[in-house]
Amino acid sequence: MTNWLNENVLWLIPAAPLLACLWIVLVGQVIGRKYAHRPLVLGLAVSLIASLYLLTVVVPHGFGHDEHDASHSVMTTVYQWIKIGTIDVPVTLRADAMSALMLTMVTSVSLLVAIFASSYMKGDPGYPRFFAAMSLFVFSMCMLVLAGNFLLLFVFWEAVGVCSYLLIGFWFHKPSAAAAAKKAFVVNRIGDFGLILGIFLIWQTFGTLDFATLFESPNLINGILAGQPDIFHWICILLFIGAVGKSAQFPLQVWLPDAMEGPTPVSALIHAATMVTAGVYLVARCTPFFVHAPYVQMTVAGIGAATALIAAITALTQYDLKRVLAYSTVSQLGYMFMSLGAAGGGHGLALHAVTFAMFHMFTHAFFKAVLFLSAGSVMHAMGDVIDMRRFSGLRKALPITHWTFLAGALALAGVPLLSGFWSKDEILAVLAAASREGEHAGFYGVILGIALLTSLMTAFYTFRAYFMTFWGEEKFPEEAGHHPHDAPPAMAVPLAILAAAALGIGLLTGPTHLYGHYLHHTPGLPEGHEFPIDWLMMGISSILAAVGIGTAYQLYVVSPKIVENLQRRLSLAYQASQNGLYIDWFGYKFIAAPLRGLAKICEFFDRWVIDTLVDCVGFIPGLFGSIIRPIQNGMVQNYAAVMMLGLVVCLITVLRALAGTH
Amino acid sequence: MNAAIQQLNNAFSLIAPDAVLLAAVCLIFFAAPFLVNDRGEAPVGLRHRWGCLSLLALLIAGCVWWQSPPVTRTLGPFVLDELTWYIRGLTLTFGVILVLLHWNQADDARSAESHACLLAILAGVNLIAASNDLVGLFVALELVSIPTYLFLLLPRRDAPAQEATLKYFLLSIFSSAVVLFGMSYLYGATGTTNLSGIHAAFSAAHGQQANPLVAVATVMLIAGLGFRLTAVPFHFYAPDVFQGAPTSAAAMLSFIPKIAGFVALLRLMVPATGAEQAINPWTMTPAATPLLWWLAVATMFVGNLMALMQTDIRRLLAYSSVSHAGYMMVGLLVGMEHEGQKHLLTKAIPQSVSGIGAMLFYLAVYGAMTLGTFAVLIAAARTDKRIETFDDLSGLSRTRPALALLLAIFLFSLAGLPPTAGFLGKLNLFFAAWAQGYESSKWLAVILAINAALGAWFYLKIIGVMFLREPVNRSPQETIIETPSLIAAGLCLVGTLGLFFLPGWLWVPIQSIMP
Repeated sequence: MTNWLNENVLWLIPAAPLLACLWIVLVGQVIGRKYAHRPLVLGLAVSLIASLYLLTVVVPHGFGHDEHDASHSVMTTVYQWIKIGTIDVPVTLRADAMSALMLTMVTSVSLLVAIFASSYMKGDPGYPRFFAAMSLFVFSMCMLVLAGNFLLLFVFWEAVGVCSYLLIGFWFHKPSAAAAAKKAFVVNRIGDFGLILGIFLIWQTFGTLDFATLFESPNLINGILAGQPDIFHWICILLFIGAVGKSAQFPLQVWLPDAMEGPTPVSALIHAATMVTAGVYLVARCTPFFVHAPYVQMTVAGIGAATALIAAITALTQYDLKRVLAYSTVSQLGYMFMSLGAAGGGHGLALHAVTFAMFHMFTHAFFKAVLFLSAGSVMHAMGDVIDMRRFSGLRKALPITHWTFLAGALALAGVPLLSGFWSKDEILAVLAAASREGEHAGFYGVILGIALLTSLMTAFYTFRAYFMTFWGEEKFPEEAGHHPHDAPPAMAVPLAILAAAALGIGLLTGPTHLYGHYLHHTPGLPEGHEFPIDWLMMGISSILAAVGIGTAYQLYVVSPKIVENLQRRLSLAYQASQNGLYIDWFGYKFIAAPLRGLAKICEFFDRWVIDTLVDCVGFIPGLFGSIIRPIQNGMVQNYAAVMMLGLVVCLITVLRALAGTH
Repeated sequence: MNAAIQQLNNAFSLIAPDAVLLAAVCLIFFAAPFLVNDRGEAPVGLRHRWGCLSLLALLIAGCVWWQSPPVTRTLGPFVLDELTWYIRGLTLTFGVILVLLHWNQADDARSAESHACLLAILAGVNLIAASNDLVGLFVALELVSIPTYLFLLLPRRDAPAQEATLKYFLLSIFSSAVVLFGMSYLYGATGTTNLSGIHAAFSAAHGQQANPLVAVATVMLIAGLGFRLTAVPFHFYAPDVFQGAPTSAAAMLSFIPKIAGFVALLRLMVPATGAEQAINPWTMTPAATPLLWWLAVATMFVGNLMALMQTDIRRLLAYSSVSHAGYMMVGLLVGMEHEGQKHLLTKAIPQSVSGIGAMLFYLAVYGAMTLGTFAVLIAAARTDKRIETFDDLSGLSRTRPALALLLAIFLFSLAGLPPTAGFLGKLNLFFAAWAQGYESSKWLAVILAINAALGAWFYLKIIGVMFLREPVNRSPQETIIETPSLIAAGLCLVGTLGLFFLPGWLWVPIQSIMP
């Protein structure tokens, strides 16, 4: 049994949701439409168990000590598509410590979200369609993480994009949803373009796309480094453009807030916990490249900081609960990129920078999922109203939701000992370390400042949303009816589990270095020495969290009048924040509109020039035919004559050629 | 005496599957007249029995084929090498599909003879692949041609079928004569009819001046066999015959003669496995390659351009089969060049796709997709009218959605779009031509790509007609259920999609043919 599992666990993880998807599409649409969630839940349970198993076998037993020297990865070639001569396209799955951790996160959050959705989506006419798309998403996401080469990674990078498109536009009859889906897809394409160029460049430089070859043999990289050191900058910046698109970083972050048009479980799963972190995963996975491109790493940190700050400012004044969370997601992803970028701050930092980014991604998945699902639960109770001005004081009406949201909010705000605290603090610590040494200390100092400011704002806007929703006088919108009901068990249980994870998982794996030590088994990660706990940063971030929460309490519970005053006084700044610093507007005005103009010109050109040309080309067959047609007239003697003629021509040509060679 | 019997036994064991088929042919021809009464009427449903018998014969032949793996080559009249084995597998498999297609095409009284003709044709193709002698090769070619005349006429004896048969008959005889002429020159040049002997003679003549006899023989053989391949300018019969003949006969003509022609050319032009052969003026290669180059280019262009203008679906498929012959000629040509310069290559350079391998792969893919197309046309026919023009197909997606989808997949494959085997087939041919390294073969690769694009035009036009146009005065009750062709279409679908996802399944045996 163990042997069988060892050999087959890799394909089992993506296969289970794929089977669920096929089942729902082929059978579930017809039979048992109401139970379409069951195959998915079952499949995800299998995937989760397999992922947990993989987690234990992919690294040597008795980990936790300093033995991350040997390379530990598991590979299976699931399927050899084409192997003809020198062309060889295998579908290779590869898992190491990093993918095992990521898979565990993906499958566990997906399982909980799927259970939540089984109740949340009840009664929707597209119930089976929803679960089919979600199964397809989990399959694609698992394949993305398990991909053994860049080509496969790209295929599933696109596949998760397609699933995201399908799920954002799930209520496609709503024009805003359809538009949001389109926007997400188009903006993502910009990033994908960078990614595919990066992959081409890797192929051209290294002659292979295989992760094992690229990342596990330093000699290959060193060889290229000796010959063309600049190439790494190009490769990394292109890969990073891909990550910027998928992970909604500045300036491509505009799609994520709009993506909230999708059903809330989708927002929780795809646009908070899993798909948007693919960019972080990509950059972390390619660390062996990025360490040779310090300027790109600084760019990564800079973009991350800009994104984190802009998104946090925007989140301060939003009234749509889900949009607050969406901007918060963008901001937290910015945090992760800041951390990844900190690798450029000094030689010993790369390992820790990557570890902390991945760790923040891990904890973020849980607390952001619980926040989104709680918001979904609020929506569910409020009759799909999500504007925080239209309801308040829900803590009595929705006790379960209130507690789970609070748990998530505390974790996100970075209250000491909770998940977000540990991971965020580590990012601050690594940024602080980067700002202390090396030639770019000043740059990283600025980044650290932005990170701290963002941390303050995060605590504020999170609790602003919390207080606006759950405190104050009890008020329901008319859509909710008179007695809003709290989450039913199928929604409450996943909420509770996720809330517990949001509170505890950081403490369990952060200060104990369980996560870090495990991740260090990933082959290809650079060496690094022990990283000390930065008490100063811990203290500052705790204070910032307390200040943020306190301010929110003061402004939104104790004396709401101040907010109105502030709004009036700082109306310009307020408007700017409300509109996301006009980035979306700017994008429409200065990028989309000129592009549209260009498209108009192209259309004109296409219609009048290209079409005419094509029509001319289309005329050729007719011309050709009018020459051939008289011969093809159905007269057999004609045919024979032409055949004879052809034969004679062939004969004369060949004999003349032969005579010429004499 | 014993030695002679021993030799006979040995020779027989090389062609055992074909003997099984021919025995079935004899049985059917003998038994059939007894089941038809004086007025030419047969019991209703008799055709099903003949169909089953044909399938049984193919099944037995298949078992025998599977039990007789390739053996080392001798100087005898027959060979059973990897090529023979592969081609046998191909004909027997597609034979099953053709029997299914033909199932309801002939009425009960004439079903027996037409099935027997089909089996004889299949046996003939196998014997072409197995022959090691000019005489045997020619007889086998005629074993394909002569039953074909009957096969075209028997099922429907109306005027269009008669005209089609007559055209095919006259032109086919003409081409056979040309082939025979070429063979006689080949014999004259080398003094032997044995193919191994001929290639040995070529090798022995290394260093001598070119022999015009061989050149003439080469042109004649390519021209004569070009008729089977529907190579331009020997393709003229195809549109007329496809249009007039029964659908199953058109399906057979679109595929079986191509196997016959290509295998015969391979046997004649490319020496046996392992034989080292330099390009010397004495071989057929120097004369054949430029000729095949021009013929391939002309065939691709004429096939695709003429297909663009057709409104009759069978004429369109005829031109489509012309263009696909052109694609396969690219593979043959590139493979011949490659075989000719093999000794120049160092073993260190890994060989990419071999042209002959690509051609043999494409042959199987082409069979699956084109027979699949015909199967859908048969299945979509109505009681009163078969599918003839685009109008008969318009709106098929409304009236018979499953059939429309099937046909769309086959047409996608013919157009060479993924995820179908047609894509891989074209890709192989393209790579084979590109990797050859000559300027001329690179041009050939480019022309192939251009033609693939041209071809997509008319295949997609049919799909557009099926899915975007309204049905033309068609009521659903007119349709008939054609179970055998539906099964055949299903088998072709498995081939068309399966060979995309698991090409290794076919590629492994192909690679053993030309190592």
